[in-house]
Amino acid sequence: MSIFLRRSLRSRLLSSNNFKLFLTNYFDSSQTINHRRHFSDNLFHSVCFRSTSLLTENRCYGYGYSHRQHHQSTCRRFFASEAAATAAQRSTSDGLTVEGILANNWNILDDNESDWKSHASAVAQSIHLIKRRLQWKKLKVRLDMLSVQLNKADLWDDPVHAGNISREHGTLMGKVKEVNALEQELLEHIDMIKLARDENDSELESESLKALRDMRKNAKEKELEALLAGEQDSCSCFIEVQAGAGGTESMDWAAMVMQMYKSWAHRRGYNVTVIDEMPGEIAGIKRATIKVDGEFAFGYAKAEVGVHRLVRISPFDSNKRRHTSFAAVAVIPILGDGSSRVQINESDLRIERFRSGGPGGQHANTTESAIRIIHIPTGITATCQNERSQHQNKASAMAVLKSRLDQLEMARQAQLNSQHTQSLTDITWGSQIRSYVLHPYRMVKDLRTNYEVSDPDSVLEGDIDGFILSYLSATLDKEDSDA
Amino acid sequence: MKLALSTVYCPHRFSNLFRPSVFTALWSPICSSELSSYSPTYVKPQFHVPLFLRPPIYSAKLCDLRKWRDWAEGVASSIGSSFVQSDNGPDSSILCRELKWLIEDVVEDHSQFPQTGLENGDDDDMRVKMRANLEELYGLWKQRITERRPFQYIVGCEHWRDLVLSVQEGVLIPRPETELIVDFVCDVVSNNEDLKRGMWADLGTGSGAIAIGIGRVLENAGRVIATDLSPVAVSVAGYNVQRYCLKEKIEIKEGSWFEPLKDMEGRLAGLVSNPPYIPSKDISGLQAEVGRHEPRVALDGGIDGMDALFHLCDGAALFLKPGGFFAFETNGEQQCRTLVEYMENNRGGSLHNFEIRSDFAGIQRFVIGFHK
Ligand SMILES: C[S@@+](CC[C@H](N)C(=O)[O-])C[C@H]1O[C@@H](n2cnc3c(N)ncnc32)[C@H](O)[C@@H]1O
Repeated sequence: MSIFLRRSLRSRLLSSNNFKLFLTNYFDSSQTINHRRHFSDNLFHSVCFRSTSLLTENRCYGYGYSHRQHHQSTCRRFFASEAAATAAQRSTSDGLTVEGILANNWNILDDNESDWKSHASAVAQSIHLIKRRLQWKKLKVRLDMLSVQLNKADLWDDPVHAGNISREHGTLMGKVKEVNALEQELLEHIDMIKLARDENDSELESESLKALRDMRKNAKEKELEALLAGEQDSCSCFIEVQAGAGGTESMDWAAMVMQMYKSWAHRRGYNVTVIDEMPGEIAGIKRATIKVDGEFAFGYAKAEVGVHRLVRISPFDSNKRRHTSFAAVAVIPILGDGSSRVQINESDLRIERFRSGGPGGQHANTTESAIRIIHIPTGITATCQNERSQHQNKASAMAVLKSRLDQLEMARQAQLNSQHTQSLTDITWGSQIRSYVLHPYRMVKDLRTNYEVSDPDSVLEGDIDGFILSYLSATLDKEDSDA
Repeated sequence: MKLALSTVYCPHRFSNLFRPSVFTALWSPICSSELSSYSPTYVKPQFHVPLFLRPPIYSAKLCDLRKWRDWAEGVASSIGSSFVQSDNGPDSSILCRELKWLIEDVVEDHSQFPQTGLENGDDDDMRVKMRANLEELYGLWKQRITERRPFQYIVGCEHWRDLVLSVQEGVLIPRPETELIVDFVCDVVSNNEDLKRGMWADLGTGSGAIAIGIGRVLENAGRVIATDLSPVAVSVAGYNVQRYCLKEKIEIKEGSWFEPLKDMEGRLAGLVSNPPYIPSKDISGLQAEVGRHEPRVALDGGIDGMDALFHLCDGAALFLKPGGFFAFETNGEQQCRTLVEYMENNRGGSLHNFEIRSDFAGIQRFVIGFHK
């Protein structure tokens, strides 16, 4: 596919307000309720409707949608509990299932063609993809396991563990319900269309067809949402960049990479705070850590973990030779309060301040109050120097340390894709993920997905969503086929 | 005219200061209800409003502001490590960071420039609202570099713990090391309700830093008396106490050490102090920011720097109640040891459980202990 096409596809996706809205709303807890309600409505609606349509088809027909809506609200009460996650094979009144639709391989036409089979097939494809991205089979197994644990009598003997179990159960259950609701809705639209055709009700038919077409768009958006379904995806995060070998050249590159993330975060409306920055002697940075605050910051940024390579004519080389520089990127999720994996003992910490020499205290006036905290049992350290008081530097360094220890623990439990849990020290300089070429030609290419862009400037100005999304979908789809 | 708004001339200590004016609201963004209750007592020459609390009545074109910034950065870079070599002063990277903070304090809506200073605005002609004009900024940065005027005096504040304290010439800029005294108190009162509810004293309070830190740690329980010999310190501390709404809790008294605490003998739950402790002979060799600009009375601790510390130990024996806690900051290992020795030999009858604590740079800095 040409770069141009990809770029325009991407910009279309990103410029769609819906897309942004959905991504930001998806797991926002305050929104989830609405969202669920929306889904549940559809779900209950379908269950109710299907039971009526099977049993009392004649009566139902002819009252059209308005009757249905009325009816739906009455039967919602009865089905509220059991309807939730029943995994029974759903089908239309004449026995068509979602798998059946997929197997039929109906032609998928442009979405303004009014062919219901095409729409239905497109929706079924989306559902299929969403399931793959959610790792559906694994997810169901995990959900069953969690349900078993939730029913154990002694569960709450360990409240932290119980809290984690019930939280995860709730999250997974929510996803299952949403997917079930999508399937139900699809089948229901098909039923409706068939019904309308049988009865020669062209108004109902076009109404139902339109509903199905709307659903097609909606399902397409959900495909993207499913990219960020990981447990930590909705977290804020720290992004760390470290210069590779090569002195000033690489330090300058590391600073450019960090700037790219700052701009990216800014575009996305995230809040950026510099936590720690070790400047290079002549230019750039040796290493830096920023905190990126906002929903899904980790979900997106985790796609950036690895080594980024730059090829250019060096601005630091008087002979104008071509240079290759490297910068490593690590991303650490910041778990919300309460979901932290580790308990830190004060006595395990050594807190240090960079000592400028001299007797300190009243002798010295300094605005330098950087703090380094060392977790003695693991040797993990965290540094903050960007706050204006020592106390605040200590608090920030503590937050970084906590996240690093959490990450270590998660890696230990192997709950995350191991790659995303790499700390800077783990990243081997061999694992390049992306190449930025400014000379002799201009191109940025992701070595994992082959996604490429011919305008490095825009990328370095933070336009990296295309890389992120293509990587996320590629990995999820790959994970699935590996499984 | 240049400094007209940064300096308010007050014939009486607080009369003009708290007269309703354009500043009234700005002086007390944290707590505004208690301003009128200070009564004028005697003359204090000047009071500086911290830069970040001044009204944003100036503006500059973004390009001009950048020009100033670039100039200031250039000046800072040219310093290299020469200050470090001459007297352990700041190097250019520290100066550049100070410059960034100066911009943060002076530009009204700093969130317009979320990243490195001023890069984000595209529009050169855009006007930026500021709390000082460009001319003043040039002057301030010149003072920073050529006179080595401390950054904290330039912006009129110091970030200390989670506080932003007003400081000005005549008042010692609180040091990061001293933050730990509040942590010690926090630890002690966290498992001793009696001490938490008691009366605490911070002697030689300067900007009021320790007193305010402790006042917040004690929450709604205890109270703090803070004393200082210097009238400037007393008024600046009063202002800071006011800003943190602690007027009911912290009483500031002018006078020498224990003198304002008469009839408190045997009643203090805690006593803390960071008294002047630098030996007189070392004063002349101090880092320029300190030696040339900070008040000698806040630094000079006599021949071996221990004059005030000994006096405080004697007072601790007399003023603390049974079980009461004390913490003093010192010049380092030598003074810590001498002090503990002194107390063991001379005050061992009333004080005990002495401990020497280090600061985060690993220097033995504090002596703490209890009344028997
Ligand atoms: C090193 S400064 C400490 C200020 C403040 N406590 C701090 O930590 O930032 C010492 C303080 O003691 C005050 N001081 C000096 N001699 C004093 C005395 N005889 N009685 C009371 N205070 C005195 C000085 O004015 C100065 O504010």
